[in-house]
Amino acid sequence: MDFGFTEEQQEVQNLARKILTDQVTPERLAKYDEYQELRFDRSLWAQLAEAGLLGVAINEQYGGMGFGYTELALFIEETGRSIAPVPAISHLVSAALPIQKFGSEEQKECLLPAAVNGELLLTAALMEANNEDPAKPQLSRAVADGDGFILSGSKTCVPFAEQADRVLLSAATDKGVVVLLLDPRAQGVTLQPLKVSTYEPQYQVLLDNVVVAASDVLVNVEQGAAAMVWITERTIAALCAHQTGISDQSMRMTASYASERKQFGVPIATFQAVGHRAANCFIDVECLKLNTYQAISRLNSEIDATTEVMIAKIWAGDVGHRVSYASQHLHGGMGIDRDYPLWRYCLSARHNEMMLGSSASQLAALGQRIAAGEAFCS
Amino acid sequence: MKVEFTPEQAALRTELRAYFDKLMTPELQAESAETMGEGGGPLWMEALRQMGRDGWIGVGWDKELGGRGMSPIEQFIFVEEVMRAGYSFPFLTTEAVGPQLAAVGNAWQKKEIVPKILAGECLVGIGYSEAAAGTDLAALKTTAVKEGDEWVINGQKMWTSLVHFCDYVWLAVRTDPDAPKKHKGLSMFLVPTDDPGFSYTPVETLGGVRTNATYYDNIRLSEKHLVGELHGGWKLITGQLNSERLSLVNVGPTSQFFNAAVQWAQQTELPAGGKVIDQPWVQMNLAKIRAGVEALKLIVYKQAWAMTQGQLEMADASAAKVYGSEFFIEVYRLMGEIVGQASMINADSEHGQVLQARIERLYRTASIITFGGGANEIQRDIISAAGLWMPRASR
Ligand SMILES: Cc1cc2nc3c(=O)[nH]c(=O)nc-3n(C[C@H](O)[C@H](O)[C@H](O)COP(=O)(O)OP(=O)(O)OC[C@H]3O[C@@H](n4cnc5c(N)ncnc54)[C@H](O)[C@@H]3O)c2cc1C
Repeated sequence: MDFGFTEEQQEVQNLARKILTDQVTPERLAKYDEYQELRFDRSLWAQLAEAGLLGVAINEQYGGMGFGYTELALFIEETGRSIAPVPAISHLVSAALPIQKFGSEEQKECLLPAAVNGELLLTAALMEANNEDPAKPQLSRAVADGDGFILSGSKTCVPFAEQADRVLLSAATDKGVVVLLLDPRAQGVTLQPLKVSTYEPQYQVLLDNVVVAASDVLVNVEQGAAAMVWITERTIAALCAHQTGISDQSMRMTASYASERKQFGVPIATFQAVGHRAANCFIDVECLKLNTYQAISRLNSEIDATTEVMIAKIWAGDVGHRVSYASQHLHGGMGIDRDYPLWRYCLSARHNEMMLGSSASQLAALGQRIAAGEAFCS
Repeated sequence: MKVEFTPEQAALRTELRAYFDKLMTPELQAESAETMGEGGGPLWMEALRQMGRDGWIGVGWDKELGGRGMSPIEQFIFVEEVMRAGYSFPFLTTEAVGPQLAAVGNAWQKKEIVPKILAGECLVGIGYSEAAAGTDLAALKTTAVKEGDEWVINGQKMWTSLVHFCDYVWLAVRTDPDAPKKHKGLSMFLVPTDDPGFSYTPVETLGGVRTNATYYDNIRLSEKHLVGELHGGWKLITGQLNSERLSLVNVGPTSQFFNAAVQWAQQTELPAGGKVIDQPWVQMNLAKIRAGVEALKLIVYKQAWAMTQGQLEMADASAAKVYGSEFFIEVYRLMGEIVGQASMINADSEHGQVLQARIERLYRTASIITFGGGANEIQRDIISAAGLWMPRASR
């Protein structure tokens, strides 16, 4: 049992933190408010590619650094700490990683080196309306067409669908679930932009008899559902890592603000009620961080992590919510002033809280596992 | 980073679980129930000596000190398992006092007391609190005055638990009444409970836990009873409290309790058909407990690991204590809701079932550690100051 970071892990953290703190300033983030510009900092993306970070968990033969999921998740935590305007989770975790795991040699050679150097953008469509389980697609159906498929249906809240070259998604067939790599520019695909509170580019994706070639089938019916579970668990753990970065940063921003801000002639931090609300955030962030690291560590070792991922997501929802409102409250009006950086953190925390299962829905799912005798304490 | 146990650690846990299955005989369990989980009975004493003989009490201690030379993580696994087994382990003696004596004790303390502690043959109670010195511990008034070669101790303590079967009191006293800061004038003594100047009266509490008021009447002690430096008691108090905090929020009993509750809910039929656990709200309560237990487990394991690195952070120890103590209260409520009004049926009653009776009792004891072991308000003060660098008002 080891809660410390290896030298390589510290290098990834430091490298990411250095680039992101230099580049992601409140002024740059302000450019994306209200969708003035597309919330995707391509020059930052290029720098991250240059530093090797887009390939942190991609094998060296495809141009990556060859580290594992843990290092990737630590990088994601840093993108949360800075709320970096880059599609790190959708590109790296939900798409590139599964391609490396499940793809044919041809798919890997064709997609991974370009994904690592930033030339090619990947994303994943994990959400359907009122369905948060990507391993059980309800609104997307595929019919076999030779070795490929004809795809119809819809996905929602798909990040960067218009900018991406391939969209990983699941669809139901008569024989099981398939995982496909959709070309969003293919005939029959309609992209309808959504406006969301984080200003992330998101789309409603409508699919009308879209032809998906055999070369774009990532996982076929026999293994498709299991592959989607693999992808979903890693995406959820990455959201938790992102939430850890966000919550930690919001809390620290709040602690330093409260130490400077004076009322009644003293720093507001010296009021015990203020200090204690911040202390509650500290405990909360620790709980989130440790549960997230546990989920990450187990996923990295490819051992069963279903219960641990659920628990981490429950904490990510609760902690994100509590730290967000405690931070806003302890800042007073400044917390919601758009010239002060906190509010963007709060919105981003809400995104992570709601995506792929809120605390309530994860608790219900965990409750079912407990009832089935699958989640005893060790 | 690798949060899972190593294969060796997992094997150690399996070994310990089997060991305690055997050690916790029905007779010992019955005796424990009678002493309200405090221990002190003859079978309890014998079991403790057995653990000592089998080399468990000091499993994570250095070999030179009489331990097995494993790390604080293995020590922690042992404490978790012994407590999980339902044995009321005297962790204040073994995990808090013992290590302090080994670190700063004099020759007598190291050669006589420490080996006895590791053998399960010496028990020490904690004498800090007084009627007027609770959270503000440094205000304590019990004194030790030097007369010739001897220290003369006088005063009264409150809430001195376990001393009715302990060999010594780990007693905090004032040795320098003129110290400019009140916590700088304190020292620590090991007071033998068989001294004629020592006496106590029992204090009963809501949870059935017995504690004591203790009296120190002209107790004369030689220099060897002083622990550590003269007037250096505060450092020992705070160091002791740090280790105490970790043991107070041990996750073993709660994990075991959760598993037992799940099994009960899986097996128990509802009169209208189906099982207790089929109800979605029951699953929800259990899921809340499960998610909370996991956090507690990781918080305490991380600290056990931090001890192997020599970097136990004050804010983390306080966070563990606050989180654990408040979570336990929540657990007993969520569990109580599952069994409903039956969660108030006492163990002594004919219809009292094991699980219900346990909830009934735990509910009554749960408040102790939110104010004891360093009040949670003080812990939160520590967290905001040491963990978040926030200035705080002077006291
Ligand atoms: C069953 C039991 C066993 C015990 N065993 C032992 C033992 O073995 N040895 C021993 O020495 N002691 C023992 N204690 C005593 C225990 O440590 C004290 O109860 C504890 O220190 C609190 O002191 P108090 O009860 O005087 O409460 P007080 O100090 O009067 O506290 C009352 C309330 O005021 C709050 N408060 C106090 N100061 C502040 C502050 N600065 N800021 C905000 N809030 C504040 C507290 O948090 C608490 O909520 C035991 C107590 C019990 C009930």
